[in-house]
Amino acid sequence: MHKSPTIATALTILLVSIFLISCQKDSPSQGKLYLYNWTYYTPDAIVEQFEKETGIDVIIDNFASNEEMFAKVMAGGNEGYDIIFPSSDYTSIMIKLDLLEKLDHKKIPNLKYIDPLIKEKASYDRNMDYSVPYFMGSSGIAVDTSKAPEGYARDWSIFSDERMDGRMSMLDDMREVLGAALKHLGYSGNTTNEQELSQAKDLIVTEWKPNLVKFDSESFAKSFSRGEFWVSHCYPENVFAEIPKDQWDTIDFFIPPEGGMMYIDNMVIPKGAKNSEAAHAFINFIHNPKVYAQFLDEFSFPPTTNTTASKYMKNHSFAFTSEDMSNSDNIMDLGQDLEKYNTLWQIIRYEP
Amino acid sequence: MRKLLKPREREQMLGTAYAFPMGIWFTLFFTIPLGIIVLYSFLKRGLYGGVEWEFTLDAYKQMFNPSFGRVVIRTLWISVLATLGCILIAIPCGYAMAKSKYQTVLLFLIIIPFWTNSLIRIYAWISILSTEGFVNSLLIKLGLIDQGLKLIYNNGAVVLVLIYMYLPFAILPLFTTIDKFDFSLLDAARDLGASKLEAIIKVMFPNIKSGLSTAFIFTFIPIFGAYTVPLLVGGKDSTMIGNIIVDQVSKTRNWPLASAFSMVLTFISLVGVFWMLYNGKREQMQSKKTTQQSLEQNIKKHHLIRGEK
Amino acid sequence: MNYHTYSKKSSVSFSYTVLALTIVFLFIPLFVVVFFSFNSAKGMQWQGASLIWYEKLIFDSPSLWAAFKNSLIIALTSSLTATMLGTLAAIGIKWYRFHGKSYITTISYLPMVLPEVIIGISMLIFFSAVKIRLGMFTIFVAHTTFNLPFVFMMVSARLDEFDYSTVEAARDLGANERQTLTKVIIPSVIPAILSGFLMCITMSLEDFVITFFVSGPGSGTLPLYVYSMIRYGVSPVINALSFVMILGTMVIAFTFRRFLKTVAASS
Repeated sequence: MHKSPTIATALTILLVSIFLISCQKDSPSQGKLYLYNWTYYTPDAIVEQFEKETGIDVIIDNFASNEEMFAKVMAGGNEGYDIIFPSSDYTSIMIKLDLLEKLDHKKIPNLKYIDPLIKEKASYDRNMDYSVPYFMGSSGIAVDTSKAPEGYARDWSIFSDERMDGRMSMLDDMREVLGAALKHLGYSGNTTNEQELSQAKDLIVTEWKPNLVKFDSESFAKSFSRGEFWVSHCYPENVFAEIPKDQWDTIDFFIPPEGGMMYIDNMVIPKGAKNSEAAHAFINFIHNPKVYAQFLDEFSFPPTTNTTASKYMKNHSFAFTSEDMSNSDNIMDLGQDLEKYNTLWQIIRYEP
Repeated sequence: MRKLLKPREREQMLGTAYAFPMGIWFTLFFTIPLGIIVLYSFLKRGLYGGVEWEFTLDAYKQMFNPSFGRVVIRTLWISVLATLGCILIAIPCGYAMAKSKYQTVLLFLIIIPFWTNSLIRIYAWISILSTEGFVNSLLIKLGLIDQGLKLIYNNGAVVLVLIYMYLPFAILPLFTTIDKFDFSLLDAARDLGASKLEAIIKVMFPNIKSGLSTAFIFTFIPIFGAYTVPLLVGGKDSTMIGNIIVDQVSKTRNWPLASAFSMVLTFISLVGVFWMLYNGKREQMQSKKTTQQSLEQNIKKHHLIRGEK
Repeated sequence: MNYHTYSKKSSVSFSYTVLALTIVFLFIPLFVVVFFSFNSAKGMQWQGASLIWYEKLIFDSPSLWAAFKNSLIIALTSSLTATMLGTLAAIGIKWYRFHGKSYITTISYLPMVLPEVIIGISMLIFFSAVKIRLGMFTIFVAHTTFNLPFVFMMVSARLDEFDYSTVEAARDLGANERQTLTKVIIPSVIPAILSGFLMCITMSLEDFVITFFVSGPGSGTLPLYVYSMIRYGVSPVINALSFVMILGTMVIAFTFRRFLKTVAASS
């Protein structure tokens, strides 16, 4: 035979390596809980505490945006995650598509600590049948007061300020940016009215974009802390995490009084989860006020979701409070109408 | 031509034994998945991602849109600039490495930086180029400028970092081909009175055509589909095609449009690749003949003249 | 005949200057990475030297190490597989005629021209269609697929310059197929195989986009880990790890320099 031994050897090594790889992959067993979460969103200390108390092994995979998480869940089906942490719009999509397991409230007694205000905002699942809020927060504007000129506007019109031309960034996210413009014009951040949307687009293209240096959802915090951006449309926790505590007084963070776009991140159990028992236990564990206080302290978050936790918190100065969000709109799923946003966003982003 | 004398069956069997493992691999893990993508580009988009089983040309219609057109043009000029930069730098580098005694060390020096995660290196570039970064501080200290220049978040920075990211992909193939090049041909040409540059362009370049086209393909194509570099060091108007495709999949959830875009991209690049492979091969064969013939002739003449003396 | 030795020297030194500058250019970001890995503060300002990030790296980064381990396993296995399959195929396609040859040649260039996202998505859909669980195995398959064309092309390019009469000479002297392959062909294309292998390792350690799509629970690689940290600012622990890796590869390169030298000499 001419099948040379080299090829045979090659194939053997190939098979062995495949075998070794398959051994590597751990299959979910009774004692394992797979989380699919935003990066840095669950402090290691809390996870360790949970592992110690229950003996369950927690394995965390991270995503950086809802869309990433969803693209994967949609294409691959649920690949063995027990808890996923989507924001409200994606929570409602997942409920509509019947991807989520119904929660057993008996196993989550700590639900009683959840602030009723949230139930009001969470119109997609008011009774927490499928989702438990993890945290309610908001984007806003951070200004570096050591660099920005005196007398800047403390609302969305700050992006029209030509004195800071080339020193300002907005999030690279159509719902956030169009939402901001809509709120500034006095409309709903979830509007589907084409005229309102087109006004918002014009405001961004003619007034705001010329002064921006970048649409940035990834590294705005680093650029802000480095003095590259003087004004950033941002999520506050990222910015504050990047800057040493003793320099925090140079950051002016605010949610514009017109309101902005806010979010509720939820914990959900996807259908097909292998360890639903442990998932319920984890959700309950998180909302134990003592544990929840640790989570808030870690990120200097205000107690918007679980108000009881504030009793146990060490930190009491926050970037924003629940009241700041009173005019803000929660980002909702718009179904078919999202295409209107897409079309405008293409013009904003791709045409110079 | 003696190859043809070998028994046909033996050749068939050997060729199959050598090439089929790869053939099967590609069929399973590339051709079939690719077929799925082709199929997707003709289907209706699902509202929440994925597709619905309904034939439509919507995706291809959506592609013809002025916003996308601008991005395509931008992608083209950025890729051409960055590729040219890579190859122009890579030729002398490959040449120097081929001539050097320390080839392996140099090879490692070229590759080692790339064992550090690319995102980390992109971040490093951001801190080098930023207003209060290393370059600006240095220039200020030297008294050349008194205020930081805006070096980052523009298309220039995108080109620079792209060159940085893909340089080794140009150096490696050029080094491999230049290494095999018979440098005595250069000396011969020099003996015949060609200037150094002339000798390199007329004698060496035709002989390293395959390396040049490989370098071109290795750099141009990944740069053309670049995603992270324009995203992280680009400014508000630095979007490239790669960003559009990712946005279509992950943000607007329009899978058919993303598939259609990829189909067109694949088609264009394929035409380019085949054209270049074909051209490179043909010219290489021609030039080999002609340089060899002319050299032989010249050497003969040379000897004749010498002999006369 | 002294007239051109002088100019030869000058041109070599021109190319050497470019090479030296290029190497400096390639290493500049690494200096920055190393510099920040010794910075005691997390931000960009230098706040004094410290080893705090190295301490954290060693004692307090279990998830990072898990990701790093996954990355290494996948880089090694996929590069090895790709190198073997690619080299053999290049030899077969260069010298033999057989059914399906043009198909294999064409298909082997395609993964390079397709945008990574598309490869990632198509594989994701494929794996879910045939019910292969996403995880280390699917990442291994994906990486081997995008690595293969590079090995194939590099070895093919080298074989283009290879004199087939050597093979015939070996056969005439009584060598069988295996001996010809291992004693004649492979040694002469070793530089291409080696650069192909190194390129595979590099690309495999680097890849984010494709890996993102085909990874499953608990199989995150280092680039995935780093990318997911982007929004929160990449922790300097990663800088520390990068420096450790640079040192590690240098040590390995140094240890094997004799072997590499013989390899290079054989070309």
